[in-house]
Amino acid sequence: MAIAIGWSAGGGGFGVAWAPTWDLRLAFELDGLAALYGVLAAGIGTLVFLYASAYVPRHLAHQERSRREEARLHGAMVLFLVSMLGLVMAQDLIALFVFWDLTAVASWLLVGYDRHNRDARLSALMALLVTAVSAVLMLVGILMLRAEYGTVQLPELFAVAQESTTVTVAVALIAIAALAKSAQVPFHFWLPRAMAAPTPVSAYLHSAAMVAAGVFLLSRIHPLIQLDARLLDGLIVIGLTSMAVGGLLALGSRGLKRILAYSTISQYGYVVTMLGIGGAAGAAGACFYVLGHALAKSALFMTAGAVTEATGAKALGEVGGLARRMPLLAAGSGAAAAGIAALPLTIGFFKDELFFKAALDRGNVLGALAVLGAALTFAYMARFWTGIFLGAPKGELRPVERRLIWPVALLGALVVVGGLVVGPFADLARDAAVVTQRGAVELEAAYHLDARAENLMAIGAYALGFALFASGRLLGAPLSVFSRLGHDLGPERAYNASIRGLNRLSNRLHDIEVRDLRGRLIAVVVPGAGLVALGVAVTPTDGAYRTGALPAADVPLVVALAVCALAALAVPFCRRHLLIALALSGVGFALATTYSLMGAPDVALVAVLIETIFALLFVGVFALLPRDVLRREARLRAPRSRKLRDAAIATASGVVTSLVVWSAFSRPVPREGMSDRLSALAPEAHGKDIVTVILADFRGLDTLVEITVVAVAMIAVSLLLRGKLRG
Amino acid sequence: MNPLFAIVIGVLFGCGVFLLLKPDLFRVIAGLVLVSNAANLTLMASGLTRSGQAPIAPVEGNEPVADPLVQAMTLTALVIGFAVTSVLLALCYGVYRARRSVDLDELSREEAAEAAALEADEPPLDEESEYDQQDEFDEEIVR
Repeated sequence: MAIAIGWSAGGGGFGVAWAPTWDLRLAFELDGLAALYGVLAAGIGTLVFLYASAYVPRHLAHQERSRREEARLHGAMVLFLVSMLGLVMAQDLIALFVFWDLTAVASWLLVGYDRHNRDARLSALMALLVTAVSAVLMLVGILMLRAEYGTVQLPELFAVAQESTTVTVAVALIAIAALAKSAQVPFHFWLPRAMAAPTPVSAYLHSAAMVAAGVFLLSRIHPLIQLDARLLDGLIVIGLTSMAVGGLLALGSRGLKRILAYSTISQYGYVVTMLGIGGAAGAAGACFYVLGHALAKSALFMTAGAVTEATGAKALGEVGGLARRMPLLAAGSGAAAAGIAALPLTIGFFKDELFFKAALDRGNVLGALAVLGAALTFAYMARFWTGIFLGAPKGELRPVERRLIWPVALLGALVVVGGLVVGPFADLARDAAVVTQRGAVELEAAYHLDARAENLMAIGAYALGFALFASGRLLGAPLSVFSRLGHDLGPERAYNASIRGLNRLSNRLHDIEVRDLRGRLIAVVVPGAGLVALGVAVTPTDGAYRTGALPAADVPLVVALAVCALAALAVPFCRRHLLIALALSGVGFALATTYSLMGAPDVALVAVLIETIFALLFVGVFALLPRDVLRREARLRAPRSRKLRDAAIATASGVVTSLVVWSAFSRPVPREGMSDRLSALAPEAHGKDIVTVILADFRGLDTLVEITVVAVAMIAVSLLLRGKLRG
Repeated sequence: MNPLFAIVIGVLFGCGVFLLLKPDLFRVIAGLVLVSNAANLTLMASGLTRSGQAPIAPVEGNEPVADPLVQAMTLTALVIGFAVTSVLLALCYGVYRARRSVDLDELSREEAAEAAALEADEPPLDEESEYDQQDEFDEEIVR
């Protein structure tokens, strides 16, 4: 409601700096397009919440689940609603991307609401993966645009973008994400699967919100799409294909919700086609279509849910003759079905009229295809409604709450009102189209009782559609072959194969990684070293490796370092544990000497202390263990291949470390004078040794924590050695 | 001086990694000690002035003063490293007391055998093979 008022007040916008260093702003604007989709998301959302408040308790009762789980669904729905509103108003592509992914996450929660059900989980995952993986492509596209023009603000982009290959590729990537979200061929397979969701979720996400987000994005970036005619043509092809595939599959399916899912694919195919046709007619038609479709389709989804609740039937053929027994539902959903099928006196009539007009503008072939598509729509809608409400009554009828019925009736009434008083609806769509088109748009929706082309096309579509509907039984076999083929060769197969492959790959990696400590180490060290080596390889080497001076006074330092290296090299060759401990002490004391030669008496002192304790600790622990345990370890000989592998890994990591450290030491060049000044400051902190001043004063708190760590460690050691702690 | 320090640090690190890959727990700890030694030396050697007189006031003469900042950091690193290594050593002893072995290969073999024995008692979770059963999920949509 607030959105409607805001829109009629002329919209408005605000922006806050989000991450100024990246020039990201949380800019929102309630323009015509945002108003259209916002009204749909919030308005239908409200009805769906009412519907869900009756539906979900029944749903949970069927599955013997706790009533408390209701909150989870409502929470996810609110998350979805909020992210949808953020999405439609975002003016910053990165913010838009974030909300886009939030809707995907919310949809995952909602589709997978029946989490004990494996199909629901897999379906939720599929919806998430198809829409979120393609969203990564979108992010790539956004970043390409940013690299090209240095901004992700849509208004700025529209102002500066020129036709170029980069822009075309970037926009195509974004369009792929949009098409996947709108379940267009070849990404359509996730939508029928998502019907595993509870019905209110489908009524919301899969009619007015989630799938609408795709065409919303196409409308939002339409000024960029218009830069390249190839993109527009691509949209037409995908739109028409989706129309045909969705329509045929809808005509061939039996499941109530599945028919509606295929219908959604086909209906958004219309919208994509119109966006591909472009121009004022296409933009106006697309926006109006979304509005008309969303109202009718959510009513139909709710009908399907109410019918299933009342009779237990989930597919055509299990139900019939409900018209007399549930008249209000029949009337409401009849109006909605008529709206989808574009009968006169419904808002749907105008949506098809605008569609025909836009198609005719592009030529007769497209016009003919449009009629065929509309005929398919008419046929499956007729089959859906008559299948449920006409014919012989079947099955038991259980009483259902009124809240399951009257949202349908309300939406049905809206569809009819839209057919009689089209003005406000047309205004809403026109304002949205103005944003898409970035120019004035005329949207004329009225009945004309004459033989103009659109009227003739509509009549032709009804006739053809009725013929298709009447020959339903004849069409059954070819349609099932079509869906079988689609299943065997379609993109879903590729999806499943890739999921299975990924799963296997991850299992294998998991096996390698967690088998033992060594595997885990290799899994961390090897990729880490590889990345570092890559970094070293691509960094310019100019001036990166300086040898630096070697004054004569440093000769003792060199000797100490050499001793240290030799001792370290000796460690791997020691067989007996005592020798290892001795060699380690050698390394440690050599290092202490090095520190003392580097003008660091404090460090040298601590190092000597620590090395002494270490030597004692090592020897002490060895003394605690029986001789034979250690001796067995010492005698153990690794196979040659493993030895070679370990040596290769060790050498590689050593070499890479040397290179990295060398280049790190080379810049900045050692400078003198800094330390002198620092040291001169020590007396002001009531100390003489600046190192102790740093530790006790500047970093006093750190040192305190450090002391605590040491104390805790010592307690742990003493407990472990006494055998009080058992793992 | 730069390449010299780099080589010594590389040697320390390489030997450390080599030992880390050994099955003997004590050698693994020795490897860890070497690696942290390499890190400490890196810290120390990355000072702006690498050698000279100790940074203790009052400074006398013209000899440059060593960088005190890296010294303070190395001190912290040394002490923490010492604490960690002592706990590891004690843990090693704990492992020996619990398992009578300090060999990683042997320990993971035993662990795997125990896990297998546990799994034999309980039926495996079907979550694992969820994606391999997808074919059934496939079929259902054709209807």
